[in-house]
Amino acid sequence: MKMPGMLGLKKRGFGGTVINRGVRAGMASRIITPWDWILAPALMSVALTIVLATAFQPFGFYLPEPVSPLILAFAWPLIRPSYIAPFIVGALGFFLDFFWGAPLGFWTIGLVLVYGVLALARTYLIGQEWMVLFGLFLLTELIFFGICVLLAFIDTGAVVRLWGVVEQAFATTLMFPFVLILLEKYLHSDVRFQ
Amino acid sequence: MAYGDKNGHFEHLKLPMTWAVMGVVALVCVVAALLFLGDRREEVEASAYANRAGFDTVAGFPDKVLAYPVHKIGDGTNWFDDYFFAVRENRKLKMKVAELTQYRDLYIEEKDINSRYEKLLNLRTEPPVEMVTARSVAVSRGPFANNRLIDAGSNKKIAFGNPVITDQGLVGRIVGVSPDVSRVLMVTDVTSHVPVMILRSDARAMMSGDGGGYPKLDFVRGKDSVKAGDQILSSGDGGVFPRGLPVGEAVKGVDNVWRVRLYSNRSAIDFVKVLLFKDFSQLPNADTILRAPPVSDVLPPPALPAVQPATSSAVSSAAKPSVTVVTSPSVAPAVTKPRPNPAAAGSAESSSAVSGPVTPKPVTAASSSAVAPVTPELKPYVPPATPVTEPSGQN
Repeated sequence: MKMPGMLGLKKRGFGGTVINRGVRAGMASRIITPWDWILAPALMSVALTIVLATAFQPFGFYLPEPVSPLILAFAWPLIRPSYIAPFIVGALGFFLDFFWGAPLGFWTIGLVLVYGVLALARTYLIGQEWMVLFGLFLLTELIFFGICVLLAFIDTGAVVRLWGVVEQAFATTLMFPFVLILLEKYLHSDVRFQ
Repeated sequence: MAYGDKNGHFEHLKLPMTWAVMGVVALVCVVAALLFLGDRREEVEASAYANRAGFDTVAGFPDKVLAYPVHKIGDGTNWFDDYFFAVRENRKLKMKVAELTQYRDLYIEEKDINSRYEKLLNLRTEPPVEMVTARSVAVSRGPFANNRLIDAGSNKKIAFGNPVITDQGLVGRIVGVSPDVSRVLMVTDVTSHVPVMILRSDARAMMSGDGGGYPKLDFVRGKDSVKAGDQILSSGDGGVFPRGLPVGEAVKGVDNVWRVRLYSNRSAIDFVKVLLFKDFSQLPNADTILRAPPVSDVLPPPALPAVQPATSSAVSSAAKPSVTVVTSPSVAPAVTKPRPNPAAAGSAESSSAVSGPVTPKPVTAASSSAVAPVTPELKPYVPPATPVTEPSGQN
């Protein structure tokens, strides 16, 4: 018969407590920090953008150029409202402005607007089927790239090649599974936000 | 009353989180909008890109690291290709050499003739342009921005505005320079406008990028000035690009707009050459020009008209009015040239055509100057009072 204090090493907590029947002990193992769901994905997005910008044309084709921060600007407001996330979305936008040579604020405006609108409509959107989410993602992309075309027109006075916009939107759509992964991983992971 | 985890002073102060987040969103949006409105990328000036040099320096490092294995693998693949297909390649190259030898002989001959013409015409030829070879390390190719980072910068004397070419044709121009990395604005970028000419018709046009691989030809003038397959070169107008860089060939798009199939798209853009071409439009400083003294202060005063003294030769030359007329080009034409009535000009021409060549007649002023004293009195020219006849109903 096992007695308290006879538990194995694997079941010992970091604090050395043998038995912790408190509710928070169960919660503590499920607490996610901003690093987990904001900073780490943001860094992955930056890394992906840099990697896909490599001057490399396999079999004569260019590498795709998806707007990977749009995935985060779509998923983060659905996971939970956050004070840090809008700043990180803005920082990712500025990174794209600098890295891709766009006018300053070009990508930032579109990304932050997407985040803001979805944060407002969050309560209506969470818990939907993935098909509904996918439709919503396509609608978001349509509005996002529409804003980009409009801003490019304001900036240069010329309409960009729309087929190129469709190509970039398609490459971004291929990253939709990452939205589902983020939602699956973080939407219900922290009971403090239920 | 203390309860919960925290017992801080603001424990019970609760903001509606959604609206607070929206405040943050609005703040970031306003900052981004101000930056966007303040950005002057469309002007393609050195100052507009100056704040990006630091970022490009940092971004260039990971791109160089990532591009290194890609370049190595590419070089290795090329080596394998060269090794296994050497015989076929050799056969092709021999045929190519035989063909190009004829062109080389023709080129030497034409170059010799051209240099003779240049000397005869006393033409001021352009000096040879220095080049710097660099390698592309990163590329942004979306519809909204077409840029490249290359691994050479101001340490190799690259400056803002230098044209960038490949072995195929024009690629773009330098718009951002840092010590080891430069940013190239591709000719396909939506802000790129390159003055070009059509080789066959010598017509001028403006090649404007739209984010795709086929830039548009704007401001094409003239009937049949462009035909499909015409070669497009840089015209050198405006001084940003030198004249004669191969750009591409004309094609008609599905939207019935003339476009350019770029030569630089024939192969992957890896090695590029940066022409250290000094944009002549940047040489004069606008402030210096505005502060320059007026021409009348710099140049000597205009010389008085030379009047020949009355000598025996002058008297004898009075019988030859054609010689007398050319003594003072500023005065003589005004005196000698009769003012024809515009309405009668047509009839005078037709009559002269009928009656044959008109011999110049000695005019009274010229003949009087010939017999004038040694220091003649110069009088300002007063146009003869001709009766103004305004024909009514004349178009």
